[in-house]
Amino acid sequence: MTESKRVLSKKDITKLAFRSTLLQSSFNYERMQAGGWTWSMLPFLKKIHKDDDKKLSESMEDNMEFINTHPNLVGFLMGLLLSLEENKEDRNLIKGLKVALFAPLAGIGDAIFWFTLLPIVAGISASFAIQGSLIGPLIFLAVYIGVFALRVVWTHMGYDLGTSAVEKIKTSSQAISKSATILGSTVIGGLIAAYVHIEVLSTVKINKDHSVNLQADFFDKIFPSILPLGFTLLMFYFLKKKKASPVLLIAVTFIFAILMSALGVL
Amino acid sequence: MHDITLIQGILLVVLAIIVGLDAWLEGLFIFRPIIVSTLTGIILGDVTLGLVCGGLTELAFAGLTPAGGTQPPNPVLAGIMTPVLAYTAGVDEKTAIGLALPFSFLMQYILLFYYSSFSVFMVKADKYAKEANIKAFSRLNILMLAIVAATNGIVVFLCAYVAQSPMRHLVESMPEWLTHGFGVAGGILPAVGFALLLRVMMKKELIPFLIVGFVFASFIPYSNLLPVAVIGAAFAMYEYFNNQKNKTLAPAAPSTSSEGEDYSDGI
Repeated sequence: MTESKRVLSKKDITKLAFRSTLLQSSFNYERMQAGGWTWSMLPFLKKIHKDDDKKLSESMEDNMEFINTHPNLVGFLMGLLLSLEENKEDRNLIKGLKVALFAPLAGIGDAIFWFTLLPIVAGISASFAIQGSLIGPLIFLAVYIGVFALRVVWTHMGYDLGTSAVEKIKTSSQAISKSATILGSTVIGGLIAAYVHIEVLSTVKINKDHSVNLQADFFDKIFPSILPLGFTLLMFYFLKKKKASPVLLIAVTFIFAILMSALGVL
Repeated sequence: MHDITLIQGILLVVLAIIVGLDAWLEGLFIFRPIIVSTLTGIILGDVTLGLVCGGLTELAFAGLTPAGGTQPPNPVLAGIMTPVLAYTAGVDEKTAIGLALPFSFLMQYILLFYYSSFSVFMVKADKYAKEANIKAFSRLNILMLAIVAATNGIVVFLCAYVAQSPMRHLVESMPEWLTHGFGVAGGILPAVGFALLLRVMMKKELIPFLIVGFVFASFIPYSNLLPVAVIGAAFAMYEYFNNQKNKTLAPAAPSTSSEGEDYSDGI
């Protein structure tokens, strides 16, 4: 029964690993990597859902939600979620897992690739280059071709993990998807605190010796990240209750940011 | 002191387009100064100059990472302009790094502007996703890549070949509030993305978990969200085991199934 559901071949998964390079094609601050994330997986989503446009559109819409993860490791997540998608798992399970996993994966990737690997490789290869030796850039290139090739490994790993977990998931899929939703909600709460930055620069003068720094002395004393939460909820209110269009909200936010910067408030 | 020929200018444009796309996608990492400067040196006919500039610039840029969402000065422009300035102005490599910085900032501002303004394309992407229109969805992504590629090519052509000094003046005359404003916008815009996410998932039963995740991440600002995910996993396990226990106590209880319904269009 399960075997017949498999429509993706090993070759497809390898192809997916290479296509994961497109992750940041349409990078932007509102949805971050969502456009490229969906685009990378699109041929395989099509292969899974075939001519069922309703299913395909549901899947594309889910994938268009905010995501920001690490480009080198994203294949793992793509492989994992595609295996669930292939098995026509509950959409909430797929979404919940995605929201729960992308941010930790980004943190791990940044720690490994930006903060550890790059300084080491850059340091070694630069020391050769400064002496005028071509070995420098060649070492650098070799290491990063290796890192790129590892995408194939991560992607297969994710896919295989998903296919082996699928049997277990099936027996209690409702309970698992409910749990995944809870996990996702917790991480979204954390995401708001971690990704939205609003820092008030204004200070209020009380007398000539004393002034109150609004951010450090006022907002941070009440609750750190209260402004990011407030702004997010305000946007949520406009979207949900006022049916405001996201474009309008983006444009207003952008103009607001430039204006506040010009006034020296933010 | 040398001049850059038209052929060299064109080759630099081709280089800028390729490594500029790589920088945007963070693909092969050939956008790092150590590679870009070396290739620029080869185009200019002075490999050693390229290597030395590449090594020095790479060291200067190794600490400037885009991790955590802040956009550092652009490594592509630094990688190209450092050897170009050392070659055309005849200054030493270290001085060239400093002279190349305004060009690096220029590209950084342009990209910051794109990061904000590309948000507008997401409405189109949502529409194509809804229609399951694969062709249009792919075209939209290609359009954005094309804009980035063209911008890299044009900026490098202007900076390296056509108008070095006017471009430097342009950057130096940009007001602080405008460049700072791009950064501020970048910090706030994810709020719109999360609001969209909340619109789909916000169920009152889930608010407690949202609050816990938020409070935890605000008070323990850690470099990644793994601890938050672990707390979320603890809640998820608690829910799962309770659910399993209830199931064995009262199989097919109507309350469980209706409760399940509530989550049917959660996140």
